[in-house]
Amino acid sequence: MILYIHTALLPSAPIIMIVAPESIHPALWRASSLGRGATRCLASGHAHLDTELPGGGWPVGTLVDLLTPHAGVGEVRLLQPALTSLGARPIFFVSPPHSPSMQALANWGVPTGGLHLVEPQTLADALWSTEQILRAGIAGAVLFWQPQVRSEALRRLHLAAQTSETAFFMIRPLNAANLASPSPLRLRLEPAPDGVSVFFLKRRGPARDEPLFVPLYPSPFASKRHAPVDRRTSPLPLPRSVSADLDA
Amino acid sequence: MLERESVLAVSRAARDAGVHAGMRRAGALTLAPHVTLVERDELREAAVLQALGMALLRFSPQVTLASEATVLMDIGASLRLFGGIRALRRHVIDTVKVLALTGRVALSPTGTGAWLLARRAQIALSEASLRRKITPLPVALLPQARPAATWLAGVGCHTLGAVLRLPRAGLSRRADPGLLLALDRAVGAVPEGFAWLIPPPTFDARQELPDRTDRADLIACYAQALVVQLTGWLAAGFRAITALTILLEHERGRDAVAPTEIKVMFAEPANETIRIQRLIKERIERTELPAPAIVLRLRVDDVRAAEQLSDSLFPEPGGTPADHARLIELLAARLGEERLRRPAPIADHRPEVANRWVPYHRRGTIAPAKHLRRPLWLLDKPIELKTRNHRPFYGSALRLASAPERIEAGWWSEPFAARDYFVAQGADHRCYWIYRERGSLYDDTDPRWFLHGLFG
Repeated sequence: MILYIHTALLPSAPIIMIVAPESIHPALWRASSLGRGATRCLASGHAHLDTELPGGGWPVGTLVDLLTPHAGVGEVRLLQPALTSLGARPIFFVSPPHSPSMQALANWGVPTGGLHLVEPQTLADALWSTEQILRAGIAGAVLFWQPQVRSEALRRLHLAAQTSETAFFMIRPLNAANLASPSPLRLRLEPAPDGVSVFFLKRRGPARDEPLFVPLYPSPFASKRHAPVDRRTSPLPLPRSVSADLDA
Repeated sequence: MLERESVLAVSRAARDAGVHAGMRRAGALTLAPHVTLVERDELREAAVLQALGMALLRFSPQVTLASEATVLMDIGASLRLFGGIRALRRHVIDTVKVLALTGRVALSPTGTGAWLLARRAQIALSEASLRRKITPLPVALLPQARPAATWLAGVGCHTLGAVLRLPRAGLSRRADPGLLLALDRAVGAVPEGFAWLIPPPTFDARQELPDRTDRADLIACYAQALVVQLTGWLAAGFRAITALTILLEHERGRDAVAPTEIKVMFAEPANETIRIQRLIKERIERTELPAPAIVLRLRVDDVRAAEQLSDSLFPEPGGTPADHARLIELLAARLGEERLRRPAPIADHRPEVANRWVPYHRRGTIAPAKHLRRPLWLLDKPIELKTRNHRPFYGSALRLASAPERIEAGWWSEPFAARDYFVAQGADHRCYWIYRERGSLYDDTDPRWFLHGLFG
């Protein structure tokens, strides 16, 4: 008995079927477009940044590397909409460079009831605490400042992050850019007038050389409640040309 | 091991040297002069059995200490809770291992049957298989049959199966009636009754360390044996612990050192082995011992009724409050109470006073003011800035980018603050929160500038 009849038209010239790589496996993506992985994302709250991030936001359950030249370039204000959207879920600050001001966080709309400040004395304690927080799986977000971390420790933290639904950010100095990191998303932040310039060092998608300007609210200057208009935000990502033999 | 000058039990090494049970002391010493002879200590055996019984209370409230180093436990009602008979058996074996004991586990539909099968570590899950497995066992295994063993052997009864086949009336007349009763109980023909173990009202257990030691990991390892007893005791009374004390006893006698006391407090009542063990381990590792310890004691200070958790069909993401409390407790145990903090703002105009973070366990909080435009990072100690051309300088000349905010407070206490705060911007567009210290009116020195915050 014939159960299935499969017909195929065979034209004289061969047609190359282009299969969407996502249909083969959700972790696959085309090098010319942004990855839309299976990971859950937290909207970053900055529309232009969301279009540039694979998955359309900050990935949850992944190590995200933020590299800053020094503290105070707007690194936490960049995360502010995401932190606010977590609601009452706990937020952990692990070994921050200075004492975080709860008035500033309250002003941004971050619920202060869920704030936890962890200040371990040694690097080993800091890594241990971060890992425990990630493994407990209760935190909404973990922000971890650590200038020198070995890549095994990073891998360990990345694995711990994968077991949880926690947005995990590591904020490190610029010289860490040259060191290997298991993080699938690495951004460099530079101060810019009324905002921050985001350089994409590594992402699941096409390389982007020019920085993306992200306006930050609230601005440190009082009574300036509107976005600056004298600045062009960067255009949407254009598919990069990929060599013909790759595309075929 | 010796009992009344004859060898009772031997280790593997001694057996290899030719020593076997039943030898005289002198004989054993002749064969293996380096052998260590230990007198049997029945009191300690009873204590170990009691400890095992306590630990097993975790799995069932019906535990009894039977004769000849056997613990019987009724698991009929515990099977579903612990995930079936295999999982429960594995739990029991693990518990025995934690107490540093070797044991054989048998399963049977009757208690006496399980007692018999435990000699051979056999498993019988139905009455038919129990009868089948008891049949080939030797007569001398049953204590009640031992006085009659000689004449039973004389009539050709070498196994319990053969005894079971004997005429009952004749057997009860010739032998101790206890023998027939025990056999009937073993096969399930007559119901059994046991005096179940009753846990003591307070918990105070001790564990001797094998040698003087100050190694925290070793002590923590031995503490595990106490923790499994503790969880058994807690489970038997439906209790959860909130405070306990670990006592590390040191050398006694001439160079006596007072025992080291470690108090462990729990943020949330605890009754799980892993959680208690983890906390105790962190605490022991953080404690400096004045001298090597020889005995470990665990005493319960405070308990309360355990809250019975019900499994939810759809668990919420982000964990339960209990998960949160467990994490906080763990972090505080290793890092120290003062290293894990939460916001507890003070209504004060001085930013460094208002921004108060307190150790996590301290209760009471007021919401911080929301209308203030403050930088995220507050420097612990303001940095005095240099001035160039009467302008503050930090890396580059700073441009004042906001109207001043005047803060004058704290004349009643230190630190007195009379400051004008500005947002300043450097050449690289970074923003700084700086202030100018206001001196007295008649002070004509140059104003001093300080950096107090960074807009993170």
